[in-house]
Amino acid sequence: MLTLIIEKEIRDLVSTARFAVTFGICSLLILLTFYVGARTYALQTEQYEAARKEQLRQLEGVTDWSSVRSARVFLPPQPLAALVTGISNDIGRNAEVRGRGEANPQDSRYAEDPIYAVFRFLDLDFLFQILLSLFAILFGYDAVCGEKERGTLRLTFAQAVPRSTYILGKLVGSFVALGIPLIVPLLIGCAILPMLGVPLSAEEWLRLAFIVASGLLFFGVFLNCSILVSALTHRSSNAFLAMLVVWIMAIIVVPRTAVVIAGRAVDVPTVDELASKKSRYSAQLFAEDRMAMGKFVPSNPTGPQVMQEFNKFMSKIADERQKKMDEFSSRLNEERVNMQRIQEDLAFGIARISPVASLSLGLADLANSGLDLKEEFQSSIQRYQRSYGEFMVKKTGMNPGGGMIMRITDDSDREKPKPIDPSELPVFVFQPETLSASLASALPDLGLLAALATVLFLAATMAFLRYDVR
Amino acid sequence: MNATQPAPMLEARGLVKRYEDGVLALDLVSFAVRAGEIYAMLGANGAGKTTTINIFLNFVEPTEGEALVDGIVTHKDPLAAKERLAYVSENVMLYPNFTAIQNLEFFARLAGKTEVTRDECRDVLRRVGLQDDAHAKRLKGFSKGMRQKCGIAIAILKDAPAILLDEPTSGLDPKAGFEFLNLLAILRSEGKAILMSTHDIFRAKEIADTVGIMSAGRLALQRPASELAGQDLEQLYLQHMAGHVERAA
Ligand SMILES: Nc1ncnc2c1ncn2[C@@H]1O[C@H](COP(=O)(O)OP(=O)(O)OP(=O)(O)O)[C@@H](O)[C@H]1O
Ligand SMILES: [Mg+2]
Repeated sequence: MLTLIIEKEIRDLVSTARFAVTFGICSLLILLTFYVGARTYALQTEQYEAARKEQLRQLEGVTDWSSVRSARVFLPPQPLAALVTGISNDIGRNAEVRGRGEANPQDSRYAEDPIYAVFRFLDLDFLFQILLSLFAILFGYDAVCGEKERGTLRLTFAQAVPRSTYILGKLVGSFVALGIPLIVPLLIGCAILPMLGVPLSAEEWLRLAFIVASGLLFFGVFLNCSILVSALTHRSSNAFLAMLVVWIMAIIVVPRTAVVIAGRAVDVPTVDELASKKSRYSAQLFAEDRMAMGKFVPSNPTGPQVMQEFNKFMSKIADERQKKMDEFSSRLNEERVNMQRIQEDLAFGIARISPVASLSLGLADLANSGLDLKEEFQSSIQRYQRSYGEFMVKKTGMNPGGGMIMRITDDSDREKPKPIDPSELPVFVFQPETLSASLASALPDLGLLAALATVLFLAATMAFLRYDVR
Repeated sequence: MNATQPAPMLEARGLVKRYEDGVLALDLVSFAVRAGEIYAMLGANGAGKTTTINIFLNFVEPTEGEALVDGIVTHKDPLAAKERLAYVSENVMLYPNFTAIQNLEFFARLAGKTEVTRDECRDVLRRVGLQDDAHAKRLKGFSKGMRQKCGIAIAILKDAPAILLDEPTSGLDPKAGFEFLNLLAILRSEGKAILMSTHDIFRAKEIADTVGIMSAGRLALQRPASELAGQDLEQLYLQHMAGHVERAA
């Protein structure tokens, strides 16, 4: 009986012109998304390679490591972040690393190419949010009330059909009938990625599988919701209207309102506020050091070591100043980060009323393009800064921190200096989150989606048990 | 009750139905239909015929009294009751994207006839007079009469001991209407108990074993058709209609 109803549901849905048209459009958009993702990745890789080459080129002909003031590091493009952009386009993609001091990512994609920011990218997150939810609504809104309107529900329930079996068949049948046609272009999209020159590691394939599964889970939420509404109404036009309201609330109103509310409720100091505090403190420290500098007395004022001794002294007070500065700014930064966390948690907490927020956050976790990406890049930069500092000390005897080094050069008795070998520079390694860590952070959101789908499923069943089938 | 008579297949016992909005649609309606019998329910629009049939199908619960199918109280064990019921509504609606045969197959399977074949479907469709070239056509373009024939075919395929017909001939052309009467006679001879609501006084008199006239939710008159042989049923019907109007006023 159940299989019969499922089978009928599938045939009934698939045989309509509405299905053919919608499915065609969906397939095209899905494939387009994968294509755009692959192109974006290729472009990003090109830019990344070019920028790195340029960085090495700038070191060509330099003969002395002490005249190297900084190294620029670049966030390597991630193939999955091209498919689920998350915030990967909003954060800086490179950073200038000096031996000491703050190194902040800069030059986000949106800052460089604002045109992208206007339209945002066509990515899987967008596709799932908009397309899958609409697809579910379009085919679910009249699942029950439409059959009543068309009069087939009456004849069906003139047979000995248990209601729970019927509604289960509806839910399963429509999920299969609509889900499988969605999986096909999604799988094709995945399959063409290597052909479009996007290399995926085994781990990334697994992540992609989770991403697709999350999309289907989200689709299930909206489908169950549509069927629930169709089992609460007796006119399909009313059901459609109700689902339209649900859609607008879930996709547009709730996420935006959450951000606004959290922004009002939690006050996070702006970057500018922080910068002005830091520069005031820095000026104060400089003034103190200038006084100390005036008190510098060389041990042997006439000896040749004076310059070297002065450099050492300068380096020492610079180190101390830097330490104080570091402490100060890390305290300020930490305060800001903490407030930001609170704000984010509040915003996300409210936004999660809508399954769209859970989907977006879960997908970004799985694609590793969420808010964590910024922190990972930042901490990779900090790690690099340490090894860069150590490297410079090894090469020049001190950590220049981007400041000037004074030294007396006496070319007359030396041979022509040899150019430095830029490849000796430590290599920047970006350490993305591990799969298990990503899964762990995506799990609550995916769990929320699964729970919501189940609740809606049960609610639809309950509603149908009391439905007037006449 | 006569001891030699078999137990009724369809039975209404003191049915009262008051809808939520206060409309008293049925007021103590009692009747019985035995196997091999046709019971014709006559009555004006809104007299309560469809409500009676809906109670047998458990689409609505009676406010008082009970409807029984083969001794089973419909609102207590609706699934068991429905297994014994075939039903044709006044406006048969089927899946517009399925062909006639696909619709028949689906509803036959739903009714428990899991191994029904396409040939059987075709045979039944022929029996109800649906032209051959329509069998494999989608229901989308079917006229009301053609849909009605498919609905009747579905009821026949189910092969249930009791059949509920709610104005089954509405929309049928005269020839099809005539053929339908023959079909009913055959079903009766097969031992089915048939409860049919209709507005067709003449056919009712011709085919039914018992005629009941409903008026404002009451069974105003119930006679074996044989007793009506010499009487003018139309005259009787109109008399009761008049009563209906009086009561309503
Ligand atoms: N769902 C309902 N809610 C309230 N009243 C109803 C409902 N269904 C029917 N009625 C009322 O019950 C009465 C009987 O209706 P019913 O449909 O049984 O009449 P009928 O004899 O089948 O009429 P027709 O010949 O037009 O088919 C009518 O007064 C009708 O308005
Ligand atoms: Mg009626």
